[in-house]
Amino acid sequence: MIDQYTLIYVLEIIVGGLLVGVGVHFVPVGGAPAAMAQATGIGTGTVQLAAGAGLTGLLAAGLMMSVTDNIWLILASGAVGAGIMIGSTMLTGSWIYAYAVGTPFASAKVNYDPITGFSQPPYVAPGTVGQGIPTICFVSGLIGGMMGGLGGAMIYYALYLINHNTALSAMFAIGIFLVNAVIASWNIQGTIEGFHDPKFKKWPFAFRACLIASILLALASVLITGGA
Amino acid sequence: MSVGGAAGGAPSAYEPNKLRIYGLVGSIVGIYLGSILNSALNTELFSFIGAVAAIFAVVMGANAVRRVCAYGIGTGVPSIGMLALGMGIIAVMFGLSVAEEINFPLLSPIITLIYAGVFGYIIGVIANKVIKFNIPVMEEGNADLSMAGALAILGWSFAISGTLGYADIVNDVLMTGYIAIIFIAGGLAILHPFNANLGPDEKQDRTLVNAVMVGGLAMVATGIGALWTQGLGAGLLQIIIGFALWFYFFKMYYKLVKRDASAVVGTGLLPPTVQ
Repeated sequence: MIDQYTLIYVLEIIVGGLLVGVGVHFVPVGGAPAAMAQATGIGTGTVQLAAGAGLTGLLAAGLMMSVTDNIWLILASGAVGAGIMIGSTMLTGSWIYAYAVGTPFASAKVNYDPITGFSQPPYVAPGTVGQGIPTICFVSGLIGGMMGGLGGAMIYYALYLINHNTALSAMFAIGIFLVNAVIASWNIQGTIEGFHDPKFKKWPFAFRACLIASILLALASVLITGGA
Repeated sequence: MSVGGAAGGAPSAYEPNKLRIYGLVGSIVGIYLGSILNSALNTELFSFIGAVAAIFAVVMGANAVRRVCAYGIGTGVPSIGMLALGMGIIAVMFGLSVAEEINFPLLSPIITLIYAGVFGYIIGVIANKVIKFNIPVMEEGNADLSMAGALAILGWSFAISGTLGYADIVNDVLMTGYIAIIFIAGGLAILHPFNANLGPDEKQDRTLVNAVMVGGLAMVATGIGALWTQGLGAGLLQIIIGFALWFYFFKMYYKLVKRDASAVVGTGLLPPTVQ
């Protein structure tokens, strides 16, 4: 039962889970305050964003898997799919913040945007912690989405090779994805702006937690068969 | 007069231990009863018992959400509901597959339950020790949530497929995509009650009645699935019982809302009318 392939599948699922867990830290999650344009980021919770990006990544990976079994193409497809999903969410969200709410995009966590060099504090409205999605958050979000999609695709690929059942692999991958995403979102406690946020330094805790959870999940997944 | 209790360590009208026993015993016995009746009488009419059994698990899960989230987890109530279903689906697939492999399909609810409980407890330990949540009921709450999610998914999967066989559930529930409906309807039944009722005036009985109500709605959804997989009789029976449960508990919920609200007034139609 235990051969080198099983070991590789277990490793792939663990690495996939870790990518999801760390990737969540890159996504600019604003939560309820951002929905009222009182905090930087996208105005919804971590799990919704991670699940949205991860499931799009799964779909993209599954589609690529139906035409080829080259692992690199499948992983790239998953990462790009999730990146497009999170990118379009941030873009359309930005339109609403800019044209409907009418706020300038500003981060309250840094004085100068590390990418554009623009000054931030003058544009942060009093009593808020920034608004909208500044360039640095957008770039960080894209990285996070792509990491999540890569992780989801890697889990799905390994599961499919174990049980050869698309529906079962997809649901099981969603389960693994959600467990890791929720653990990571507990680590950032609600809101984060991206890799420039001081909270980002907490990622090793999530790494350790997701490692333990992913090992347990991977051991369960290799025991599952594809049914009749 | 209030029979509920505030959350967060304050006394509740229904003890968590008692609710856990009711939830576990009710759902396990229900799933077995439905399965045995179905196979003994060679019919699929008793599949609805699986959906009713899932409601016991849902009430236990909603109570666990209420206990854990009352401490404030910072990521919103939906995250913990999704975690419950994520852990649950893995436990169900594991339990069904392993039971099939050792050639004893009837053992699957027990294997599912054990894996879910152990895995949920470990996730709770991770949350407290590694992520440093320091919520006293985290381990217990996560084990409850995991078991509730698993038993709810198992009960509703049985309601759609009519048997506990792994191959049947894969074909009838997973390959058809009904698992996605179970996933979201089950998630709503577990996470929505506390999400809708939270606040300083949250009462345990109101939250739990809301859980049964949403469980009834989920039963209507599984009934629509069962129409396709098991035929008119079994499907319609589930839809009717689900609707009846929903209607009865909606009335009860509305009564409790009126009990707890300081006033219930109509807002009138737009444009504003004088009340």
